Amino acid sequence: MSTALEAHGLGKRYKRNWALKDCSLHVPAGRVAALVGPNGAGKSTLLNLAVGLLHPTEGELRVLGRSPYGDRDLLDRVGFVAQDTPLYPDFTVAELITMGARLNRRWDTPLARDRMERLGLPLDRRVETLSGGQRAQVALALALAKRPELLLLDEPVASLDPLARREFMQVLMGAVADGETTVLLSSHLLGDLERVCDYLIVLQTAHVQLLGGVDELVSEHKALIGPRRQRADIAGVAAVIRESHTDRQTTLLVRTNGPILDPAWTAHDVTLEDLVLAYLAHPAPGRAVLGVAK
Amino acid sequence: MIWLTWRQHRRQALFAALGLAALAALLIPTGISMRNAFTDSGLARCLREVGKAEFLTGSTDCDSLAGVFTTRYESATTLSMLLVFLPLLAGLFWGAPLVARELEHGTHRLVWTQGVSRMRWAGVKLGLIIAATAVVSAGYALLVSWWLAPLNDAGRGRLSELSFDVQGIVPVAYALFAVALGVFAGTVWRRVLPAMAAALAGFLALRFVVLQQVRGHVLPALERTYPVIGGQRPNPSLGDWTFSVGIKNAAGEVISSGQQTQCSPSVAGQPGGPCASIDPGAYNFQLYQPAGNFWPLQFIEAGLFTALAALLLFLAIWRIRSRLA
Repeated sequence: MSTALEAHGLGKRYKRNWALKDCSLHVPAGRVAALVGPNGAGKSTLLNLAVGLLHPTEGELRVLGRSPYGDRDLLDRVGFVAQDTPLYPDFTVAELITMGARLNRRWDTPLARDRMERLGLPLDRRVETLSGGQRAQVALALALAKRPELLLLDEPVASLDPLARREFMQVLMGAVADGETTVLLSSHLLGDLERVCDYLIVLQTAHVQLLGGVDELVSEHKALIGPRRQRADIAGVAAVIRESHTDRQTTLLVRTNGPILDPAWTAHDVTLEDLVLAYLAHPAPGRAVLGVAK
Repeated sequence: MIWLTWRQHRRQALFAALGLAALAALLIPTGISMRNAFTDSGLARCLREVGKAEFLTGSTDCDSLAGVFTTRYESATTLSMLLVFLPLLAGLFWGAPLVARELEHGTHRLVWTQGVSRMRWAGVKLGLIIAATAVVSAGYALLVSWWLAPLNDAGRGRLSELSFDVQGIVPVAYALFAVALGVFAGTVWRRVLPAMAAALAGFLALRFVVLQQVRGHVLPALERTYPVIGGQRPNPSLGDWTFSVGIKNAAGEVISSGQQTQCSPSVAGQPGGPCASIDPGAYNFQLYQPAGNFWPLQFIEAGLFTALAALLLFLAIWRIRSRLA
């Protein structure tokens, strides 16, 4: 399977602070990848690097096989919805579509108009009169009108109410259902993305904490419950992500590399949310970077 | 890109066109009336007869006619001083928001991720705004130069402070500089209001320094002398820019600065008369830029501000290219 986005040792520094450090990851083509992490983890930095707005301080980044910074040809193939879905407030919806047509070599005006129509947005409405949800939908429609091979969305639903969130995600999933567009979208809440993504990147404090296909990650991690004891080597456990103890028993969240056959432990499946929370709570950044799905 | 620039800035273009039209509506009728008054009052003929001799003797001069004329059009002189600030408006309302508004609203992330390179975006936007600035400010400069001509001839001179600044080619250079400064400030402060404030402060500071400290010294000043006792005095309608006057004694030492005195030989010796305290060999002096230096000074100052504008635009493009996201 080809790779839509690939980073090796990628880092970005603003003055003294590293917004992103030693970041290695890849997103296979055709996936819907969720980029999850708390605020300030480096999600926006990674997306802005991927769309060529920022220049990496170190490391290498390939988007659709090209280095994105200053690559105009690549911009034709990448759709981007920036944080807070910026649009010119005094433009009408029709003028935004015209702008897209003037600025892009690859642009599907009928598609954009059709999407606006289905959203019930009159073309002569000014952007400043739209609700937050409508603005986000317009921004998405503009990005989709480029017929992008890669669609990047930076916290597209962060400022929307729950209903608008769901509608936005439904439209997004409908638009990329053909599987020809790779999607990378970020959120500080996994809940927004859990139902739609099939690939996961967890970022925290500028580092990649977890990376891989959702199904593989879920099946590879187990919660083990057993009698309280000091941690010992357990056959089939590659790494202990989190451990908690009560007076009588110990609970471990582990990454496995084989079946757990030790009779002292009972293995339970974990949810994606448990998994993400465990990695975000992980005290040592950078230690648990996994390259699971090749 | 041209469509987008027009769409985003058409309101500013409209305001500029309206402003220029309003200025023309004000200046053209008053200019015509000023010209008529200049001729009809006999001032034009008087000045022609007096000519451009460096010194006048006797009572032939046009001082009283010129005085009446300039008093009548004093409000025009005041207005011309206000016109000094018009180029600044271009910097504040065209230059400063150009990049800063995009950065403030985050729309640079929208426009720089369409299929147009950032350099092309910057090139088209800056190119069009600079061209529009040049056209509008050239219209303004032509209009004001024409309008002020009678007042120049009546003795104010084109070289005097704030008169020089609204005529010839320097207004165009000031406007280009103001716009470039506004654009550059926008790339540094990234918000419209701070960029406007920075452009305002920077523009006024540099203009003030050049006006006060540079313009009079770029070309060597000349000294004109004439005796305290006698009837020969400088022709006031030469249009020179006199920036320092005083009286020196026979040894060449300054005995009084900031004033000029003259007495006819008949009253010179009288005790208690106006010239009693001045020793016989004393003479008046004037340090001045001759009227003929108007165009050389215009080109020098316009060149300075245009070069600074080019430097600021270069820095702004460099920042757009590699420092902003």
